[in-house]
Formats: sequence, C-alpha cells, structure tokens
Amino acid sequence: MIRLEDVHKSFGRQTVLDGVDLEIERGKTTVIIGRSGGGKSVLLKHIIGLMKPDSGRIFIDDVDIAQLNDRDLNEIRKKFGMLFQEAALFDSMTVGENVAFPLREHTPYREDEIRRIVSERLQAVGLTGVEEKMPAELSGGMRKRVGLARAVALNPEIVLFDEPTTGLDPVMTEAINRLIIDTQKRFQLTCVVISHDIQSIFEIGHRIAMLYEGKIIAHGSPDEIRTSANPVIAQFLSGSIEGPIKIV
Amino acid sequence: MNAISAALDGLGKAMMSYVEEMGRILLLFLSVMAWMFRPPLKARNIFKQMEFVGVKSIFVVVLTGTFTGMVMALQGYHGFRMFGAEALVGSTVALGMTRELGPVLTALMVTARAGSAMAAELGTMRVTEQIDALSVMAANPVKHLIVPRVLAGVFMVPLLTVVSDFCGILGGYFVGVHLLDINSGIFIKNITKLVDLGDIYNGLVKAACFGLILSLIGCYKGFNARGGAEGVGRATTEAVVLAAITILISDYFLTAIMF
Amino acid sequence: MVNISSEAKVGLFVLVGLIILGYMSFRVGQQGFGLKNGYTVRAVFPNVAGLDRDASVQIAGVEIGRVEEIQLQDGQAVVTLRIRPNVKLGNDAAATIKTHGVLGDKYIELAPGTNTQAFLKEGEQIQRVESQADIDRLLRQITLIAADIRGVTSSLNKAMGGERGEASLGEIVENARLLTKNLNALVVNNEEALRFTLGNARQLTDNLNRVVVTNDAKIADVMDNLKDASKQMEQTFAQLNEITGSINRGEGSLGQLVKNQETAQKLNQTMTSLQEVSDKINQGKGTIGKLINDEQTARNLDETIKGINRYVSKSEQFRTYLNYRGEYLFDKSDGKSYVDIRIQPKEDRYYLVGVVADPRGRRTVKERITNGVMTRTEEWEKDGLLFNAQVAKRFRNVVLRGGVLESTGGVGLDYLMLNDRLKLSFEAFDFNSDDDDRAHLKAGMEFQVFKHIYLTAGWDDFISKRSNSSPFAGFAIRFEDDDLKYLLSSVPIPK
Repeated sequence: MIRLEDVHKSFGRQTVLDGVDLEIERGKTTVIIGRSGGGKSVLLKHIIGLMKPDSGRIFIDDVDIAQLNDRDLNEIRKKFGMLFQEAALFDSMTVGENVAFPLREHTPYREDEIRRIVSERLQAVGLTGVEEKMPAELSGGMRKRVGLARAVALNPEIVLFDEPTTGLDPVMTEAINRLIIDTQKRFQLTCVVISHDIQSIFEIGHRIAMLYEGKIIAHGSPDEIRTSANPVIAQFLSGSIEGPIKIV
Repeated sequence: MNAISAALDGLGKAMMSYVEEMGRILLLFLSVMAWMFRPPLKARNIFKQMEFVGVKSIFVVVLTGTFTGMVMALQGYHGFRMFGAEALVGSTVALGMTRELGPVLTALMVTARAGSAMAAELGTMRVTEQIDALSVMAANPVKHLIVPRVLAGVFMVPLLTVVSDFCGILGGYFVGVHLLDINSGIFIKNITKLVDLGDIYNGLVKAACFGLILSLIGCYKGFNARGGAEGVGRATTEAVVLAAITILISDYFLTAIMF
Repeated sequence: MVNISSEAKVGLFVLVGLIILGYMSFRVGQQGFGLKNGYTVRAVFPNVAGLDRDASVQIAGVEIGRVEEIQLQDGQAVVTLRIRPNVKLGNDAAATIKTHGVLGDKYIELAPGTNTQAFLKEGEQIQRVESQADIDRLLRQITLIAADIRGVTSSLNKAMGGERGEASLGEIVENARLLTKNLNALVVNNEEALRFTLGNARQLTDNLNRVVVTNDAKIADVMDNLKDASKQMEQTFAQLNEITGSINRGEGSLGQLVKNQETAQKLNQTMTSLQEVSDKINQGKGTIGKLINDEQTARNLDETIKGINRYVSKSEQFRTYLNYRGEYLFDKSDGKSYVDIRIQPKEDRYYLVGVVADPRGRRTVKERITNGVMTRTEEWEKDGLLFNAQVAKRFRNVVLRGGVLESTGGVGLDYLMLNDRLKLSFEAFDFNSDDDDRAHLKAGMEFQVFKHIYLTAGWDDFISKRSNSSPFAGFAIRFEDDDLKYLLSSVPIPK
C-alpha cells in the first residue's frame, strides 16, 4: 500500500530523515511514535507529497510519488484524507462549507446532494446542526471532529492523522480515539497516525513503528513493541528520564 | 582584513538573498499567470477579494485623493501667484493626480489596507496548516488563494485610482474656485487643454502594475510565512515595506518609459 | 441595511468607476476625438525651434489637428500634420508657426486657402510656409520705424521750434484768419450773384438729369469704372491704415524709444536675451531642469551614429536584439528561461545565439562497452545550460530557422501576423534522442502587448512519451540595441 525506501531529508545542516524504510499495510492502523520534533510530521508530509525527499523513494500503490508532476500527484492525493494537528479548518468558511470543500472541488454533485453528504459526515463524527457555525466558534475537540469529517468526505482509502489527541482533555481524547477506530472499521481505511500519547497508541494501533534519530528502529504489533527489549523503546514507553534518549 | 572580507561576504549574501527573493516572486507571478487561465475559476472568491480590495478601500481613497488635490491647489496657488499664473493651478492638480499622485497614493493606501491583510491572512493560513490542507485536498493553493487576490489587485487599484483622480480634481476645484477665487471656467478649460487622454490612461496602467505588485508581494510574504504568530507579524511588516518600496521604485521606471 | 452580495457591491463600484473614467476621458479627450482617422499633410519649415510633437494645429484659433512628427531633411524641418477628416484644405493653404504669448507653447496656424476646387490629399505638402514672426526681427523693425519717426519729429521740431518758428506759426494763423474773413465778405457781397449761380446750377442738373436718363447705359459703365477705382482706393487705404495702426500700437514704448537712443538699445538687448532664454526653455520642452547640453550631446551622438550607419551602407542596416523569455511549465510547476542575442545583418536574415535554462537540465549520454555489449546511460545534469545557435531566413511572413536548438540539431518555423505583433511558431529538435523518446516538438505563439513586452503560450514537447510534455505560458522582453541606448539615455530624466 504505502512503502518508503531509504528516504532522506534534511533542512540545511539538520538531518531529519536519515534513511527511513517503512511499509504500511492496507486496511490497518499504523501508529508512528517518536520524540516531539523528531521528524514524525515531516514523514507524514512526505507520504502525501507535501514535501519531496532529498533521496529515496515513496510508493503509493506502486507509484513513486517523489517523481510525479503536480497533476499526477493531485490524482494520487484524491485517495487521501488528512486530519491536521490543529484541524486546519478554513476559517473564512462555515463548518458546512469546510466539509463541502473537497466535494465541490472534485465531484460533479449537485448542491442538495452535497448538503446531504455534509450532514451525513458530520453526523458520523457526532455533530449536528453546526453547518452554519464558523470554525472559530467551535471548541478544539469539535474542530478536530469537523476536520475528520472533511478528511473522509471523499471516501478516501488512506487517512493520515497528525497528533489527533494532542491538547485535548482525557474524555475528548477517548472520544476521538473511538471515532478513529470506528471510522477505520466502517470504511476499511488504511490509517497512519502520529502520536506520542502512549495510552492512545495501544488502543488504536494495529501496527506500531518507532522513529528515532531519522530511522525506523522498530516496527511491529502492539504486543511486540510493548515487550521490546530495545532500551530506546523501553525508555520512551515508560517515560523515564534515564536511558539512551538524551534530553536536550 | 578579516572584518572587511566578512563585511563584503555579508553584503554579497544579502544581495544574493534579495535577488533570490525577486526570482521567487517572479516565479510565483509566472505560476499565477499560468493558473489564471486554467478554468474553473471561482467567481465568488474573486468577487469577495474585489469587494475587500476595492469596495472597502473607497472611503480611504476618496479621503486621501480629495485632500491631496486640495493641498496641491493651495500650494500651487502660492507658487503660481508669483508669476500671475494662478489659472494653471487646475491643470497642475489634474496632471499631478492623473499621472503620479492618484496611482501612487492609491497603491500605497491599498498596500497598507489590503496588501498587509493578504500577507496576514495567508500567513495565518500557512502557520495553521490551512494551505497544506488545500494541497492535501488536491486543490492548488496558488489558484485558490493567490489568483483571486492578484486579479482583485490588478483590476481594483486602477478603478480606485480613477476615483482618487476625480476626487483630487474636485478637491482642487473646491479650493481653487471657492476659496482662492480662481475663475471656474478658466480652471476647467486649462484642465481639459493640458491633460491628455494618455495622462489618464498611463496613470491607470501604472495603477494596474502597482496593484499587481502589492497583491503579489502581500501573497508571497504571507504564503512563505514561517514560525507562528511572530512569523505572521513579520511577514505582514515585510510585505508592506517591500511592496511600498517596489511601488515607488517601479513608479520611477514606469514614468521614465511611459511619459 | 439590506444584505447586499459582494457581487452587487463590486459591480456597482465598477460601474461608478467606469462612468467617472468615461466622463473624465470625454472632457479631456474632446479635442482628440476624430483625429485618429484624419489625414496627414506635410509642411517644410526652415526652423521649428520650440515646436513639439502633439502641438496644436489651428485655423482661426480652432484646433483642427495635431503635429504628428518632426523630421530633419536636407537641413530643413519636415513637419507632418494630422488633420481632422472633415476639414478640407485648399492646395494654396499656408502654414505659420505661432506662439501663445511670449513664453507660451508653439502651435501651427493654417490659412485654409481660397481654392475650393483642389484640396490637399493625404501625404501632400503645404506649399506656402511663413516662417515664424521672430520677436528679434519684430524688434529690429520697430527700431527702424522709431528712427524714421524720430527724424520726422525732429525736423518738425526744427521747423516749429524757436522764436522764428513761433513767429511764422503766428503769421500762418493770422493769414488764415484774414483768409476766412475775406471769404466771408466775398459771400456776403455776392449773395445775389450766388443765388443766380445756384439757379443756373439747378438748371444744369435738370439738363444733366435728362442727359442721364437718355444715356443710362453709358453712365452705368462709367459708374462701374468708378466703383473699381474706389475699391482699389479702399484697399490702399486699408493697407495704409494697417501701417499706421501698427505704429499706433507701438505708441507707448515708441515715445520712450524716440526720446533716448540708449534706453532703446538696452531694451533691445534685453529683449534679445529674453528671446534667447525663452528659446532655450522651449527647446528644453517645457522642463527647465532638463540639461540642454546633455540633450545636445545625445543628439550629436545620434547624428554621428546615423552618419556611420549611412556610411556603412544605406540599405543594409545592422541590427541587434537582446531577448529574454521566461516560460512557466504548468505540469512541471517550474520555469524555463531563454536569454539570447539576435544579430540581424539584413532585413530578411538573422543569427541567434543564446542559452536556455531547462528544469530538466542537460542530458549527457555515456556509452560503455563491456564484454562486447554496448550500454548507454543517460544522465541529466540539473544545473546544465542548453545552447541555441540558429540561422534564420525570412520569406514574407514565414521565417525558417535551423541550427542548434537546446543543444541538439533542429529546425523551426515562424509565421508572423498582425504587422509582426503575433508570431506562431513551431520547433522540432532532439531527433536522435535514443531508444524510447520521440523528437522534441514545441508549438507556441507570442503576442506583443507593449513595445518591448511579449506574452507567450503554447505546448512544449507535446509528443513526449516520458511525460515531459507540458503547456506553458510566460512573457518575453526584447530590446533592440538602439532601444537600449535610448532607454539608457532617457531613463534618468523622466519628465
């Protein structure tokens, strides 16, 4: 489904990705964990072509997107949905217009059909009657749910989540996690989730990959990761300050 | 020696980064041109920007235009009175407004009002990942965000300039005829005699260029903003400064070529 | 307020703006209307100092056209005038250069001519040209006239002045008094005789009347002759009147001029220098700040170059163009730039050399033979520049080009339309691009929007199999080196 081969990326002198190899399976939720500022978001942006690698290849369904031109890349992107860290709703548009945006861009649906799909998607994330509100009037959790509704509006095959639960209270965190699990099951999605919220990781992940110093140092099922002997993973999971991970 | 070479090095780097920036703005311009002719364009987006850039700037433009015309009439009167040529006040105001002050002042006011807002808006969209969200949804950000703003700038600034020219001449007329007692017939006759169609139209061509410059630079700075709220603030300031400077410099060259 | 949509607000604003623009254009452009499709006539003047392009052409103070062009030909100034189509000029029309006031603009006054049969046609020349009334010359004449008048008055003074003059004047007056007295006496004494004479006269007129009635036709002839004579007299008087009138108008200063020769001379000098100053200002086209010397230098330079050009050859003018073209390739989101120099030794032939920066870069093919099997590898060097070196020949509207195109062999074909403002072009090159890809074909068009600015659009490499194909749009800037010279010399002094 998604395969990264030897992906390198650096900004100036700072190397962020230093030979990442990763295969993400179809129909499963893969969680990528790692330190804050450790390049997880950069990795995610490479998967969807927002950034191009310095070297290496990124295959989506056997197409190397690092070599594609804009037009072909846009075709590939229609398979994707993405939920951004702060939801990234367009604040000049109402909630309804936000969810309708991808539909208006890429489908020939009539206005009443679009309205129906929008309210359906919003209902699926547990929101009703918010179509006419502006994003600024919503709470953080509601914004994320609207973001999710927008991400799945076009029935994508793959959905990317950039720290979906960061900055939410425990109740809302749980609600979002449930939503991710439900959505994944319902649409048989391939999900890639970035997180460092340990509790959520094991709740939603079928596969877990750890990114450390620009490389994937472990990739396996939650149980494998939990019982891993790797001192880096052990320290990361326990949240101890003693260990190979240096605090800078 | 070291200090000198370091200074030279720094100067060279500053030059290079300026040239690079100009190159990037030019590339952005080319890509705006390219996307401009690729349907479908969302008319509603364009109208919204036109309303913001054009309609909402009318008040400031009317105000600056009127008072500029009035001041020119007053100053011109005192100068011309020494030669007994008070009758030329009208044509001085009209020529000054249509050729120079109308386009430049309008462009500067719109830069301050709309150019800065473009930079701030796009900058905010950049740092809150809304621009990335557009790309992810396979919607080209240049086409969705920049093309409407540039179109609005190119079409609205000349129209505002027309309003400014007109208000400036009216202001000059008011001061000259009603306060300084210049004969109204002579005042108007000198305007129609000495002002050419070319003066007005070249002024408008200038204004269109300025509209392009201010919207393009506002969008460029916002589009490439980095680093949170502070970055947005910096982008806004830089956009206004760079646009104002570029407008004044290009004004010189446009004037040299056209008149 | 009711909720008005952005569309409505913008629409209203555009409408108001256009109305204001239309109003201003109409007020300002009234004089210019109808000029575009007028006809041109030429007039040759010995000196047109101070006359500018676009100066007014008037008949009886009404503008009927503008000066379109001023050129130098055989040491004389050839002025081309564009005249409104509805104004007809007889072929005996006359042109004069006049000035509004002392320092005002120069304009051309036409006398439309009296010939109502033959009118001047497009491109024809006005035969009668009066050179401008120089203030200088005017002053000289006034000085001469003043000297004459001074002579007259001084001799009068001599005749009348002094005691002798007074005495003789007294005598004259006394004589006149006596004369009238005598006349009076004569009339009183001869009243009877006068009455008789008058009676005779009446009889005479009666007789005359009879004669007249019978000889009516003859008398009419005589009267006609008399009328002619009186008309001539009238003209003579009119001319006399004019002369005296002009002297009259000069009266104020004349009095002074007459009294003191020195003052007159000083005045004369002042006027002359004033004339020089105003001439200079006029030559500076209204901008006093413009350095007169600079312009002269530029003009001299121009002349020299023109001279050299003429010397080299009259028909074969060597021209060089500098050209920059930037194209944005949509499907690659990247730009492709061309910089080249076009050397045109003849009107219908040119050579073009330049560089191209292609986002794909430069291809280098390496051949390696290992174990008798030849393998070829292609590499693309991203920053590599490509080269253009072409020979082109023009046949009417078609230009054929050939040579090195983007560092490979190739040919090109251009078709020029709309006075060369629109160019359709087609290029084919890179034929021996090995194995899989086809030749590189490119089609596009270029349109001249302003003097040096061109917009261009088309499709690059449109039969490529390697998805190198992309539509493009961009612009080009092209200067002739003459223009460059002009630009460099004129840029620092905007008016």
